[in-house]
Amino acid sequence: MDGFVVKADFLPRLLQQLQENYQVVGPVRGEDDVCRLQPLDEWSEHQEFSLPRISVKKYLFPPNELLYTTKNGTFEPPPPPEQMAVVGVPSCDLYAVDFLDRVFADDPLYQRRRSNLLLVGITCHPSEDCFCPPRDTPPPFDLFLDEERVFSGTPRGDELLQQLGDRLIGEVEIDHDWTCEAQGPPLPENLERRWAANETKSFWEEIGGRCLGCGACSAVCPTCHCFDMQDRIDAAGNAVRHRIWDNCFFPNFALVAGGHDFHPTRGARFRFRCEHKLLGFGVFRGESSCVGCGRCRAACPVQIDILEALDHLREGAIP
Amino acid sequence: MSASLVPIPATLVRILPEDPENRLFELQTTTPFHVGPGQFVELTVPGSGEFPVSTAGETATGFATCIRQSGRVTAAMFQLDEGMIVGLRGPFGNGFDLTRFAGRDVLLIAGGLGIAPLRGLLHALLEERERYGRIVLLYGARQPENILFREEFEELAANGTVELRFSVDFAPQLGEGDGYICSVGLVTELLQGLQLAPDATTAAVCGPPSLYGCVLEQLASTGIDPDRIFATLERRMKCGTGQCCHCVCAGVTICRDGPVFCLTELRSMPGAI
Repeated sequence: MDGFVVKADFLPRLLQQLQENYQVVGPVRGEDDVCRLQPLDEWSEHQEFSLPRISVKKYLFPPNELLYTTKNGTFEPPPPPEQMAVVGVPSCDLYAVDFLDRVFADDPLYQRRRSNLLLVGITCHPSEDCFCPPRDTPPPFDLFLDEERVFSGTPRGDELLQQLGDRLIGEVEIDHDWTCEAQGPPLPENLERRWAANETKSFWEEIGGRCLGCGACSAVCPTCHCFDMQDRIDAAGNAVRHRIWDNCFFPNFALVAGGHDFHPTRGARFRFRCEHKLLGFGVFRGESSCVGCGRCRAACPVQIDILEALDHLREGAIP
Repeated sequence: MSASLVPIPATLVRILPEDPENRLFELQTTTPFHVGPGQFVELTVPGSGEFPVSTAGETATGFATCIRQSGRVTAAMFQLDEGMIVGLRGPFGNGFDLTRFAGRDVLLIAGGLGIAPLRGLLHALLEERERYGRIVLLYGARQPENILFREEFEELAANGTVELRFSVDFAPQLGEGDGYICSVGLVTELLQGLQLAPDATTAAVCGPPSLYGCVLEQLASTGIDPDRIFATLERRMKCGTGQCCHCVCAGVTICRDGPVFCLTELRSMPGAI
């Protein structure tokens, strides 16, 4: 990894350089005051240090993605996605990309999008909702903007910096502290045992009693990756399948043939979400995928807070 | 396993009605596609949808799967004719580990459509029949006409390859030729008088949730090692690759870590059965 001090006009020049080969998106604050990742024409549109409501996840794992179209008895995947660059990605969202990269490691369509996505990270200016876990290794990025410095993390990043060589002043050592200023409480020790010991329904059902089941927390989460697949016949008469975001708060999420529902209450659904975020599923068991961005806390219309669940587990007795 | 969500084409080479509700579909692919016993695939009816289904055994040209018409997509599947194309993804899941059965007596307990994956296991065992001791098949169905693969099983019983006992929930009257129907009642009643050697037996169970609730611990109470009592679980497996989270139970992805689990594992998975 190389680091350089940059000249004042580095960022607009970087944007111009990227626009030659990529569709460039970045955080833009709309008239409704919501920050979104949107196409960037001018650097001045870029809303620095603003967390977009939906993270870069939407380009890697789109809310509605064509998986195949049938053609003469074969199942044809869609054409490759275009080259895309996302600028101004805070480190929490970069760590989330690292997690998704591993969840979808064997998924060719995800990997195709991933290899066509260039990431320009940025040092986070945390909001009051943030609670980042401590980090000792850098997240994945091609370039990372740290105030007046830029780091390169990949050969693609190196190449860009070569092209922008006249905008670089001098090489610097990379001494960046990857742990965010807004450090949250560490995960309690013995989390697995605490989880098993706190299976008692009262806490979860109390929260479930407040929960509206809207699923906003999962919708804005940069690491939530539940999905459903829907098939239909398109206007041209071909069978198509789309992958769409699903949500573990929706009533039919764990419904099986015969009518049995494995998560019959909102309390059970909230507990399931916390288990996924904090303890992990399957091969990821033991790894928290919560990056501490705080989006779920901000999005919840009834102020349910994942930190409440963490406090409950921390304070609960373990055998 | 391919984790791709894009299916490959498979031809329905044969469709055999098994009973009024169930049909056996034999599939063939242009490239070799091996599904081990206890594994499952995702079948696509183009334009209608996809559903997970286990293998009911290999065929000369591929594998077979037994499907009950129970929803929108399986209804569309029942509209298809021989020679038509469906989509196929997989194979998924761990399947049965045959080394856990080798050199031992085998007890297979099926309820209803749960016979389909156990037929796949039985076929795999019969490939090398000499590697196993007794093979006992206990199979409970609703009524005599709902007993799937009845002729096939009775033939295997008649020539001494397997020991066979059927039970049915209801039987207006049992007639001549119903000799293998040993009880009217629960399949667990068939366990009585089997004279198993528990420390030499490996068991595999497949059926509705109510079957697991009673039979697994009952087998353990007879002395069979809980590491050698296997069950295969049914969940809403959408992707098959551990990504979509629909089938997760107790933190375990049933589609990828399972669907076959031993009783020791199931005991540490609250809510699994």
